[in-house]
Amino acid sequence: MKEKGSWRKVLYEDQGVPDDYVDDSFLEELRKNLYIRDYEYWSVVAESGVVTQHISCVALFVVVFVYMDENRLSPETLFIFSLFCALLGYYMNNFMEQRNFRIWSRRTRWDDLKTVIIILAFSGGLSPVLMTLTDTISTDTVYAMTAFMLLANILFHDYGANAAMVSDSLSFNAGIFASVCLASRLETTWHAFATVTLAIELFALWPVLRRKLKTHYQRSQVALPLLMGTVASMAIWSVSITCAIVFISFQVFVSFACPAWLLNMQRFKNNIHGPWDEAVIRS
Amino acid sequence: MKHRICMVSDFFYPNMGGVESHIYSLSQCLMALGHKVIIITHAYGDRTGVRYLSNGLKTYYLPIHPIYNQCILPTVVFTLPLIRNILIRENIDIVHGHSAFSTLAHEAMLHAKAMKLKTVFTDHSLFGFADISSILTNKVLKVSLAECNHVICVSHTSKENTVLRAAISPHKVSVIPNAVDATSFVPDTSNRNSDKITIVVVSRLVYRKGTDLLAAILPVICKKYPQVDFIIGGDGAKRLILEEVREQEKLQDRVQMLGNLHHDQVHGVLNRGHIFLNTSLTEAFCIAIVEGACCGLQVVTTKVGGIPEVLPEHLVYLAEPNPKSLIEALEAAIENRISGNILDPWEQHRQVSLLYTWENVAERTVKIYNRIINEENEILSNRIRRYSHLGKVASPFFMAVILLHFFFLFLIERLRPRENIDVVPDLNGCWKDD
Repeated sequence: MKEKGSWRKVLYEDQGVPDDYVDDSFLEELRKNLYIRDYEYWSVVAESGVVTQHISCVALFVVVFVYMDENRLSPETLFIFSLFCALLGYYMNNFMEQRNFRIWSRRTRWDDLKTVIIILAFSGGLSPVLMTLTDTISTDTVYAMTAFMLLANILFHDYGANAAMVSDSLSFNAGIFASVCLASRLETTWHAFATVTLAIELFALWPVLRRKLKTHYQRSQVALPLLMGTVASMAIWSVSITCAIVFISFQVFVSFACPAWLLNMQRFKNNIHGPWDEAVIRS
Repeated sequence: MKHRICMVSDFFYPNMGGVESHIYSLSQCLMALGHKVIIITHAYGDRTGVRYLSNGLKTYYLPIHPIYNQCILPTVVFTLPLIRNILIRENIDIVHGHSAFSTLAHEAMLHAKAMKLKTVFTDHSLFGFADISSILTNKVLKVSLAECNHVICVSHTSKENTVLRAAISPHKVSVIPNAVDATSFVPDTSNRNSDKITIVVVSRLVYRKGTDLLAAILPVICKKYPQVDFIIGGDGAKRLILEEVREQEKLQDRVQMLGNLHHDQVHGVLNRGHIFLNTSLTEAFCIAIVEGACCGLQVVTTKVGGIPEVLPEHLVYLAEPNPKSLIEALEAAIENRISGNILDPWEQHRQVSLLYTWENVAERTVKIYNRIINEENEILSNRIRRYSHLGKVASPFFMAVILLHFFFLFLIERLRPRENIDVVPDLNGCWKDD
């Protein structure tokens, strides 16, 4: 055997050592936890606001359904209210848009209006169909299906994480499906129409606006979840106190306990890197 | 000392690839050294039963069809009766599995261990540790290699990787590189276009082979050197982005795309080029650059996985896996080509052909066989103890699997007694008892 240190990590020459020789340099290039991130508790808490406020959104949607089902809220009021919210959101969106966005994307206000008319016309035209769509299915099944779909909506929603399971289209479709399920349990076509338009606003338009708000006004990420959480909690409280308590404790768990948990789990992290890793192309 | 070896893998002829040709060439060389070799693989289409390849290499195509990625469904016990029968019939004493992906190899090694035979495993690929598929495969490997007598890896990097993945002692792992049949990669400069400099790429056009890198450097090199042409052999999911670049930059007459190449066409394509380019992002050994160098081409390659170990510095231009570094390396190669500062292809062929030969691989493999053949066989209780390091859930589970497997073997031994199985006589006379 050759003297120590003269061994080289090459295959093309016979170095006079047996094939199962283990050099001192074995696993020298092993690196552990290279890309570990130091989390700060309060910033993680702030980031978790995205999750809690989406859950609040879904909760609000369900409460609105309950209200309509109990005839405490008329569909006309809801529709006018959501129209008002949509206009407000549109105005805010415009306000935050880059100056030459319209020129660059070649999208005129007329295009926006056309989209709105198409969507409204379709949901309006289809609402008689939606209303009777699940007539033959028992209400329990429909509620179970709705719960399942809303859960899928929450799970697959794009919270800004870069993960394989995130699928915006799946999340959105699940949300719309849930709204169709619920709409079919209500009394008139007006009800169905108002529910579906509210769902489109909550599940399609609102996340887009929320992301824009995040890039333009960082502060909104603290204020919004608080506001939405309070509104949702109060709304649920008016329906069922037990549900409200469960909801509030869950929100507190997500925004305070989960970040602490994540930070605590960091010390178990054991990521191994070495020359065998698939290279990442950096241009 | 002569052995009776059974090579097992899901990957074999008529499928073509690195593992397939490795098994074939190694088996041929082992037979030439006087050992008996048979091969077990799964059915390929209607190709089932026993076939004889060149020099009487006996191949069992088990009547089991692949489920996913050319691998059979992992059932642990259903292949047991058939493989036991073959191992007894052929009087096998060493089972040699190939490739971590191959379920058949893992199962056969398990059967062999229960039958008190020796096992060797060759790992051909590198794995990460982060994504879900490698976490699962690594678990399987841990289980499968817990009892293996010896493991062979194709490069030092691959050895480090396997030791970490399978949690085995590095002293149980040998490094034996792949080899190239130098006689089928002989330089032939008459096919080269002497007014031009041709860069050859032969690889599957997929993400792992760095096709995106290739697409990024194509236009830059073509713009800078009007005398440079590209020939790209291979096909895959990323072929489209290459064709896109070719169209956008109007390089149709300078970038030739050949599509899928048959293994015997590769040599001809290599000999049309001056520079061989490899852009892989991960590679355990990379036989392609050795083939390129063997044909007398300058080799430019990314420095990933085991690649830096493969060729001596004066035969290879190494680059980091990014467009900038790769372009620099290619430019260095092109400048050296223009100024004539290069090795004579025949001299290069002579040097490379001595580096990796199958005879050498076979000799080194036989050394391992000689060593393990005398190792003690373990009794069941000791065997089961070897599965105690797998984890809180996995350990009891796999211990139960081993027990169940042992019970099945016990049943089969009663139902189909060993004595009733005929042993195959050695017809081709390659193997003689001594």
